Amino acid sequence: MTEELQSFIEKYDLLGCIQCGRCTGGCPVTVRTDLNVRRFVYDTVDEEALEELAKMPEVWDCTACNTCAVRCPKGLKPVEVLIGLRNIMVESGVVQPTVRDALESVFREGNPWDKSRATRNDWMKDLEVKMAEPGEPVENLIFVCCTIAYDPKLQVVAQNLVKLLNKAGVDYGFMDTSETCCSSEVHNLGEEGLFEMMVEDNTELLNEYAAKRLVAISPHCYSVFKNQYPDLKAEVLHYTHLVGEILEDKKLELTRELPEKIVFHDPCFLGKQNNVYDEPRYVLGQIPGAELLEFDRSRERSLCCEGGGGKMWVETESKKERLSETRVKDAKELGATVLAVACPFCVLTLDDSLKAKGFEEEMRVAEILELLGEALD
Amino acid sequence: MKTFVCIKRVPDTSEAEVKVDATGKEVDSSRFSFDINDADNYAVEEAILIKEAKEGTVQVICLGPKDADVMIRMALAKGGDSAIRVEDPRIFAKDPLQVAKVLAATIKQEGDFDLVLTGCMSADNWNMAVGVALAEELGVPHAAMVNKVEVLDGKVKVNRELEGGLSEVLEVSLPAVLTIQTGINEPRYAPIRGIRAAQKKELKVLGLDDLGVAEDEVSEANSLIELMQMYVPELESKAEIIEGEPEEKAEIMAQKLVKGGLL
Amino acid sequence: MGDLFVLAEHRQGELREITFEMLSKAPEVAKELGGDVVTVLLGSGVDAFAEKLAAYSDKVLYVDDPLFADYNSDKYQKVLAELLKTHKPDVFMVGHTTQGVDMAPALAVELKLPMVTDVMDIHFSDGKLSPVRQYYSGKVNADFGFKGDPPYLLTIREASFEIVEGSKQGAIEKVESPLKEDLDYRRFIEYIEAEVGDVDITQSEILVAVGRGIREDKNMTLIEDLAKAIGADICGSRAATDAGWLPHDRQVGTSGRVVKPKLYIAIGISGAFQHLAGMKGAKTIVAINKDPDAPIFTEADYAIIDDLFKVVPKLTEKITELKG
Ligand SMILES: Cc1cc2nc3c(=O)[nH]c(=O)nc-3n(C[C@H](O)[C@H](O)[C@H](O)COP(=O)(O)OP(=O)(O)OC[C@H]3O[C@@H](n4cnc5c(N)ncnc54)[C@H](O)[C@@H]3O)c2cc1C
Ligand SMILES: Cc1cc2nc3c(=O)[nH]c(=O)nc-3n(C[C@H](O)[C@H](O)[C@H](O)COP(=O)(O)OP(=O)(O)OC[C@H]3O[C@@H](n4cnc5c(N)ncnc54)[C@H](O)[C@@H]3O)c2cc1C
Ligand code: SF4
Ligand code: SF4
Repeated sequence: MTEELQSFIEKYDLLGCIQCGRCTGGCPVTVRTDLNVRRFVYDTVDEEALEELAKMPEVWDCTACNTCAVRCPKGLKPVEVLIGLRNIMVESGVVQPTVRDALESVFREGNPWDKSRATRNDWMKDLEVKMAEPGEPVENLIFVCCTIAYDPKLQVVAQNLVKLLNKAGVDYGFMDTSETCCSSEVHNLGEEGLFEMMVEDNTELLNEYAAKRLVAISPHCYSVFKNQYPDLKAEVLHYTHLVGEILEDKKLELTRELPEKIVFHDPCFLGKQNNVYDEPRYVLGQIPGAELLEFDRSRERSLCCEGGGGKMWVETESKKERLSETRVKDAKELGATVLAVACPFCVLTLDDSLKAKGFEEEMRVAEILELLGEALD
Repeated sequence: MKTFVCIKRVPDTSEAEVKVDATGKEVDSSRFSFDINDADNYAVEEAILIKEAKEGTVQVICLGPKDADVMIRMALAKGGDSAIRVEDPRIFAKDPLQVAKVLAATIKQEGDFDLVLTGCMSADNWNMAVGVALAEELGVPHAAMVNKVEVLDGKVKVNRELEGGLSEVLEVSLPAVLTIQTGINEPRYAPIRGIRAAQKKELKVLGLDDLGVAEDEVSEANSLIELMQMYVPELESKAEIIEGEPEEKAEIMAQKLVKGGLL
Repeated sequence: MGDLFVLAEHRQGELREITFEMLSKAPEVAKELGGDVVTVLLGSGVDAFAEKLAAYSDKVLYVDDPLFADYNSDKYQKVLAELLKTHKPDVFMVGHTTQGVDMAPALAVELKLPMVTDVMDIHFSDGKLSPVRQYYSGKVNADFGFKGDPPYLLTIREASFEIVEGSKQGAIEKVESPLKEDLDYRRFIEYIEAEVGDVDITQSEILVAVGRGIREDKNMTLIEDLAKAIGADICGSRAATDAGWLPHDRQVGTSGRVVKPKLYIAIGISGAFQHLAGMKGAKTIVAINKDPDAPIFTEADYAIIDDLFKVVPKLTEKITELKG
């Protein structure tokens, strides 16, 4: 443990900080909570204080949106300092029961939702899905994501992708129920040991498939595979890359008109973390009859929806408006009829806020693949 | 304090569709997820809290298959000192009284003890029998459904959770067996680094011969009861839809709640 | 030809309902066995109980001794073992209650009795006793049979049998307690009531859960009234806690609390995946929602598809009526 603590300064380059405060200045959750990430970067220099700092509840308010890292002039990753503090709690065994259960579930069943591994592909029922086999070459190996696989509200996202790929006639394959949590959220919850283990196991598993490209449906899986799995053989893509390519190559045509005013919400793990801004917009632009709007705060300035960084399992106790509520209000003011997203967590946060605001009549939240499904028929 | 804690690996069937298999006496478990029995998780935590407060050792005992090793390692990572897993195809592990016999033989072989903690109930079978039967096998006093433990000199003061929010306070002399109720504490998380480190702790796998238990004491033939058949009761799989005008629906539901003993 | 013994359960000066539930089923079982219904009562100053039980029994065997002022499973075991050895009944029924499960398994081990626990029904096939119990969250039933010799020990699940008024006039026989001295290794100290104060919904037995369907804070009185009528605590979906209708510690779900009550009544809750994960362990789920396609109905045991504003007040009214 002490060894662990001593490396904090080096691990996070704490002495490189000039205390300019740009991190906190850009941090979206400061409007709702007491989190001041700059202070944590400052205070964690004192090794003696680490254990006390780790116990502060604000440590769990961070959504891992990465704004602080994007804005830091010295190239620090303040968000990682918070995750390091979470790690101290995890190693001590004292975490919220919901976090404990999610992590144990990843360890036992390969997903954070306490679902049986054997039922992971139940969403495929009644669909013609091409399965990839280890060792057999496949152009696009599709990685579904635990949340999309198990949440009945989100399964349509994967189902629509299957239909679209079948129609386009591209070479793809899905994995059997050995597909295992990418562990992006495991990292964000501070369970470093489990994360290392999952990276090792998943790398071995994924490399067994002779896939040219690994296509993640969720930006969270995409981001972690791309940035934290150094030994993956396949090139990592988000599905909007693949779908964009399909549409560009005219392998598929969207025929049905969708006379909607669509505004796209950039997911942090696609945008701020990986600079993927154009592909989703390109895909949406191919929908006949649709008019694309833009948020005032878009692309790298996009507002976080508070769905990531482990927030699925940790509630921020704040009476202030949720950021996702602010976001749907903004969308309504723009006159959008569809708030389009490309991330499962965004669907959940924004749809919930849409209902909380009572905007169901005039607007809806839709994953891009839901819209594509409608434009295909 | 020398403490034993008995843990069982159980399927989570709260959401799963349950189907009886071809034997008609067991269900198809291929689509279930498995975990440590809920109450046993609390028993492990309580054993470790006691160890942290009073010093001593915690030994984990499990009668079950190799797949249970994960749960055993987790208990060791949380602070257990060593473990014994008993596995032998000759044991009829479906009779709670036979299970108790095997657990008792395992504990006796390890010498003296102060406390044995079990869960109060297993989530799959709901017998609430093993812990109390185990006490009788060991010839020591017990208390079932315990939701508070205070270790005193040579005895424990415990609260037993009764029906309707009532508790019974008892003093039980040591050594003793307590069956632990969920909610007595908040089980800690076993970090993976801890689980990896716990690989070094001893996990013995024993069979009947190692325990000196004769096969016919714990075999199926020796069980005094017999499961004849298993079946999915009608109406269990789907919600019963209450029909009628709002007032009638309320009436029917009220009847079910009050007369059906749900309240 | 053998008798059916039933253990009377009482606490704090009252016979508990399980006793009458077992005794209501008992005549049917005793008839099959071709014997009498014999109620066994252990207590101190319990003449009145014996009188009352006689109406349900062919015979009441009772011990009246200060040593039995409060329940103690070890003392019970000592006396019951003697009675069973002397009288050799065919079947002995004990409640699957916190008293019964604290004693029955030890008695079974001591006397090598065949035992089936948590019995919810009793059949006879070819004249042979066959108790029914459940496995796997109550999703499958299993019929049992006996291989060993009687007495057969059954622990009976509460609320399995409806109470019917007794009309017998059984003989009452007082027996000497074979236990002469108090036991020193297990001592009863006191009963304590659960502390009132902060509600911890993870420990609640009955929960009324409310969701966005309730619409406004002022409508919460509907929910509060129902909760009061059935002795429930109130919890809700994230939509309900977010709206401030309930404090955050009442949120059920993946980012709230995981609850396992006996009864969960979900009102105006759609049943999002994140919510279901927090309450799937509930034993019985009642859902009230006007949308027949709401996912909550996939988990529910009872579905009321209707406007909550019409159903809930009536439900409260009817329950209050029925409970008298
Ligand atoms: C398909 C099927 C068939 C069955 N057939 C029969 C039959 O023919 N005859 C029969 O008598 N019974 C049969 N049973 C039921 C049997 O009664 C129980 O499954 C089993 O004996 C254990 O009881 P339990 O798990 O409910 O224990 P409980 O008494 O509910 O468990 C309480 C505690 O005991 C401890 N414990 C229980 N089991 C273990 C273990 N394996 N290792 C370590 N600790 C443990 C744990 O701490 C647990 O919390 C059958 C069950 C099934 C599912
Ligand atoms: C990060 C994150 C974490 C989350 N964690 C949780 C969590 O821990 N717990 C949780 O509950 N949710 C959680 N959620 C939210 C979850 O996804 C759902 O949005 C939420 O549970 C919906 O709440 P609800 O069912 O009350 O509302 P809705 O989904 O809006 O449902 C309201 C229901 O009420 C019904 N209704 C309306 N009027 C009436 C009427 N008059 N009569 C009868 N029925 C009526 C409607 O048919 C509808 O089904 C989380 C979401 C996110 C993004
Ligand atoms: S990652 Fe986002 S939420 Fe977390 S500290 Fe940085 S800016 Fe704030
Ligand atoms: S933005 Fe970077 S340099 Fe500035 S205070 Fe934050 S961590 Fe320090």
